[in-house]
Amino acid sequence: MLSTLLSQIVNGLVTGALIGLIALGYTMVYGIIQLINFAHGEIFMVGSYGGLAMFTYLMPTAIQNQWYFALPLLLIAGAAVSVAVAVLMERFAYRPLRNAPRLAPLITALGVSVALQEAVRVFYPGATAALPFPKAFVEGTWEIPVPGGTVPLRWTGLLIIVTALVLTFALNTFVNNSRMGRAMRATSQDRDVARLMGIDPDRVIVLTFVLGAALAGVAGVLNGVDLGFTNIDLGFQNGIFAFTAAVLGGIGSIKGAVAGGFAIGLVKALGGQYLPGGTAYDYVWIFVVLIAVLVFRPQGFFGETERVRA
Amino acid sequence: MTRRRTIITAAILAGTLGLTACGTNREEGEGEGGGTTAGACDTSKGTLIIGMVAPLSGGLSALGLGMRNSAQLAVDQANEACKVPGYALAFQPEDDQANPQIASQAATKLASDENIVGVVGTLNSSTSQTVQPILNQEGIVQVSPANTGPALTMGENFATAPERPFDNYFRVSTTDLVQGPFAANYLVEKSGKKAIAVIDDGKTYGANLAEQFAQQATKKGAQIVAREKVGERDTDFSGVITTIRALNPDAVYYGGEYPVAGPLSAQLAAAGLNIPLMGGDGIVDSTYVSLGGRPGDLATSVGAPAESLPSAKQFLDDYAAQNYTEEYSTYGALTYDATNVVIEAVAKVLANGDYSADKRAEIVAAVADTNLQGASGEIAFDEFGDTTNKVLTVYEVKGDSFAPVEGSTGAFEG
Amino acid sequence: MTAIEKDPVVEPAAVEAPRGRLAGLAPYATALRAAGGLLTVVGAYLPWATFVLNDGPYPEKATLEFFTAPLGVSGFRLHLLVFGIAAIVLAFVPAVPARGRILRALGWGVVAVSVVNGMYITTQGGGFGAITAADGAVAFGAIVALIGGAVLLVGAFAGGLEGHARWGRPLGRFVEWALLLVIYALLLLLVAAVLTSGGQGSVANPYSGAVFLSFLGALGGLLAALHSAGVVTWVTGMSERHRAYSAIVLLAVALLLPLTAAGTQYWMTVAANIGVYAATAIGLNIVVGLAGLLDLGYVAFLGIGAVVAANFSGATAARFDIVLPFPLVMVISAVVAGIFGAIVGSPTLRVRGDYLAIVTLAFGEIFVRSSQNNIGGLTGGSNAIPGIPPVTAFGQPFNESLTIGSVELPAGALYYFLIVVIVAAVMAVFGNLKNSRLGRAWIAIREDEDAARAMGIRTGPVKILAFMIGATLAGLAGAFFAHKTGTVSYESFRFLESVTLLAAVILGGMGTIPGAVLGASILFVLPEKLREFADYRLLIFGIALVLIMRFRPQGLVPDAHRRAELAPQSEPPPPDGSTGPAAAKVAAS
Repeated sequence: MLSTLLSQIVNGLVTGALIGLIALGYTMVYGIIQLINFAHGEIFMVGSYGGLAMFTYLMPTAIQNQWYFALPLLLIAGAAVSVAVAVLMERFAYRPLRNAPRLAPLITALGVSVALQEAVRVFYPGATAALPFPKAFVEGTWEIPVPGGTVPLRWTGLLIIVTALVLTFALNTFVNNSRMGRAMRATSQDRDVARLMGIDPDRVIVLTFVLGAALAGVAGVLNGVDLGFTNIDLGFQNGIFAFTAAVLGGIGSIKGAVAGGFAIGLVKALGGQYLPGGTAYDYVWIFVVLIAVLVFRPQGFFGETERVRA
Repeated sequence: MTRRRTIITAAILAGTLGLTACGTNREEGEGEGGGTTAGACDTSKGTLIIGMVAPLSGGLSALGLGMRNSAQLAVDQANEACKVPGYALAFQPEDDQANPQIASQAATKLASDENIVGVVGTLNSSTSQTVQPILNQEGIVQVSPANTGPALTMGENFATAPERPFDNYFRVSTTDLVQGPFAANYLVEKSGKKAIAVIDDGKTYGANLAEQFAQQATKKGAQIVAREKVGERDTDFSGVITTIRALNPDAVYYGGEYPVAGPLSAQLAAAGLNIPLMGGDGIVDSTYVSLGGRPGDLATSVGAPAESLPSAKQFLDDYAAQNYTEEYSTYGALTYDATNVVIEAVAKVLANGDYSADKRAEIVAAVADTNLQGASGEIAFDEFGDTTNKVLTVYEVKGDSFAPVEGSTGAFEG
Repeated sequence: MTAIEKDPVVEPAAVEAPRGRLAGLAPYATALRAAGGLLTVVGAYLPWATFVLNDGPYPEKATLEFFTAPLGVSGFRLHLLVFGIAAIVLAFVPAVPARGRILRALGWGVVAVSVVNGMYITTQGGGFGAITAADGAVAFGAIVALIGGAVLLVGAFAGGLEGHARWGRPLGRFVEWALLLVIYALLLLLVAAVLTSGGQGSVANPYSGAVFLSFLGALGGLLAALHSAGVVTWVTGMSERHRAYSAIVLLAVALLLPLTAAGTQYWMTVAANIGVYAATAIGLNIVVGLAGLLDLGYVAFLGIGAVVAANFSGATAARFDIVLPFPLVMVISAVVAGIFGAIVGSPTLRVRGDYLAIVTLAFGEIFVRSSQNNIGGLTGGSNAIPGIPPVTAFGQPFNESLTIGSVELPAGALYYFLIVVIVAAVMAVFGNLKNSRLGRAWIAIREDEDAARAMGIRTGPVKILAFMIGATLAGLAGAFFAHKTGTVSYESFRFLESVTLLAAVILGGMGTIPGAVLGASILFVLPEKLREFADYRLLIFGIALVLIMRFRPQGLVPDAHRRAELAPQSEPPPPDGSTGPAAAKVAAS
């Protein structure tokens, strides 16, 4: 049925936009220091709790119900908390390992991921279970009429797609045109030469983490607003999906990360609908695609050259 | 540099220690020391321990910690009331991390203690599978408040040739064999739903419940239009919803717990499916509605409604009075009852006579003869160790909480 | 614990002059050391808690009220007393080699013991009043001992640190054999003492966690002191000279554990579970440690082995109605897991490094999801496969206790024996492979794959072989796992288990034989001993991973090759003057 197909495509796009926002952080960090920052998914999760804390403890009740005031504040709070955590993480967990062999930071990232998730569970009040998240946006659904039915699109879903596209465009512009962006690209190509050119690689790396975390924090808040709840274990799965998206799009490519995110979202939605096993196996299909891409086209959609990493 | 910093830190620490105001939390008026209870009870014969095996860390800890607090409440109350003459009761919760292997270690640890009189738990059926045989070796009674897999009491061939595998195992929760079909009868016959989409979370509780529901609903003439699964960690269910939306169901049955059920209900509505969602006792929780549950959603729960049961009301009030950090959650009342079942049995056996490990068989027998008015209703056990309280009530979301549906309380009779 | 291995060429007698602020204290070094020791002794004899805590009196008669026999110290206070006296003696005996280093180790031990006990009493007592003065009662034991430890440390540094002591030439073969026998017997008693220290935590024994941690602190200080004194290096050298003998004696010693104080059903169960993970970790060690291929879904192979074994076990939920004898089941499980290993390993032909890690992670997740969905009816899905019967030999089920003559073995001891044999066999496989042509090929690939290929190594098959052999070993352990646990559920094989396995390999030391076993033991024993902190278990685990990578990425038992690779590349010379990473081997404790 056409409406089902289109609905699943819409679902895929919403999921994909969210994953794409997270994937940007993965792709930038990996591009610059070749680290799979497993903890990035938890940065996303922490962002949603940051927004929630803002809403619960700081926001005046008067504006809690006016989304045009509340939503920006939530986004700022979520991004701020994510950025703060990411900067601390970079400073105290990753930077001391800058020259260590590849395995060390990867395992550190796993450790940070576990620790962050548990820290929120133990220290955030009530976080052992799912917590309701304020619906700080227009509620309801846009019923798009198509032949043979309608395709529902939540307004919040539309918000996620638009935000993802706008932020990606902004980030792309920043990286390609600004002085700092040039420094980032230079550092990712050759850190030592960049240093000789007068670039402080530590600053650039921190900036990379900050940008990625801010996007993840925004994604965390938007996810909460869209779904109406947040949970401590939504970081891990979305993080893995996002990394998959980053690889799919070509590590280091900003456009690629978002395109990869959309691809993952579509695989999940359409695979659950049309592939054997149904929704019970949608998760499996994502990983099958991942393995296939890594084996047959490791440079991804937009990767220019195959980077040999050992 | 590091070394110097360490020494300075140590020096500062030592200095602070000496200067800090001398705060304590010393309990005044406790003379003897060693006992965990104050008050007038005679605890001269020592301390007996009620153990618990439940997930206290990780993803399921919300349920596990609620179980821990509820059991603690029961033990504290028993001590205040001097339930077991001559003995103080103590409560020892052990973490199983929802992992069968860790559960077996926890059970072994408890089983090797002479003073363990009974174990409450586990939460997951898969962990119970490893705990059962270990406790059975020592003859320790196990009462689970949450296991729903029929095989635990009736063996693998529960449908055809039920056979009780472990005679020390009891549970106060109803099995999927009762709850799923009861819900199906209500939804098909009373609500008149004929095209039902069944979704579960792929975990033991949810998958079995959904399976039993689907069988009975088919038997009653309804059509199961879809049989879908959501991922344990999924948060966006729009894929599943779109799939079932095309099939025009008039109700959704969800096998699983409230953290998924609430958002699922909200997303159903957002996708234009204004049909009720029904679930089992796993979704009866105060936060279900705040997580997205809608008025009109249905759930079944064990026992008669709390309002008609003073004991249930009492439990809720007592729990609130203790100011625990965690909610009592889904299995709070049942855990409280399970703990009380053990306490009553111990009290009965030790009313005349001292405790020794040989008394464990008597405790098992006493549990089998339980007749208790608990927070979840009448509790007694049948020949398999299942609760005879097969009374269930249908609840409906009204306003922002579940309210019992008038006249829905009843037992499942096929 | 804090000792850093030194280059063997450093002259043992060379005393490094103290630097910085401590230089001014150098003339008072002896006085400081003696004072520290004295304060420690005084601390040991003072009461530690002013009042009876809410959970009952603090152990070792440390509470003021129970301070009746002041001279009969025991437990942690005895440890402090011994450390303190040793420090005083060392302060005045100049002839002892590496004196400063030993004193430093003792100082850290004293600090650890007093901090653990002091902090515990403080938090349990609700404030510093518990260890200082409250309601007219005073108990300054913790603070005096802590100051003693700190003074001891300052004294040790102020006097300058020498290199590690090195012992003389080898003794005769039979003397060394006898010595090793005694040392391994002591090791056995030590392991039993660690396992049983503090007793079994329960409501009746609320301080077991604190007692255990304090014991660990003291033990750490002692081991570091022995290491400084050169004893550890000496023992390692001896056991290296008699490898075969050591292996046999160690195996015998391991088999004797059920006869010690740790021979309870509980510890046998824990030890058997450790064994499963140790065997799996050794398999992982081949893949990660030797071949350098990071695998994040490794626990799936354990799961595959377990599922296969469960299906041939005669359990009601098994897919096949065939019951095969356990040894045969083990072989089948291993082979099936090995085949899957080859499949999972095949992308290594094209994928490298971090990308490979992601591929393996994806395979692991696919396994979990598929077994949750009961793929092919093989895994029992969400209901798992319960009721797997215990292994039986000669009519004796392995999960029951057994009496042979006058020796009564606790329940679970037979499983323990079985897993010890399995682990020994797996270790033998690993040890032989490591030194074989194949093992050298793996190490070459790990160091530089392109160079290895250029040297004529067929890297593709060699890498797949690493995955295959590793998976085979895990499958072997899986068959044991299925029968021991009695239930095979997808919940036992999640991502976190893979991370734990990896952490075991890294904590122990990658590429070494004892490393994986040591790592698995620590990662399993600690959570069991510290069950009262269960709420924080994962949080501590995560933070520990970060700290290990930060401060000791080469693991507790570093591999000679690996060490050079994992040590920081651009590190300034360590403050204690060692000349950077060296290939010194440290003994397993």
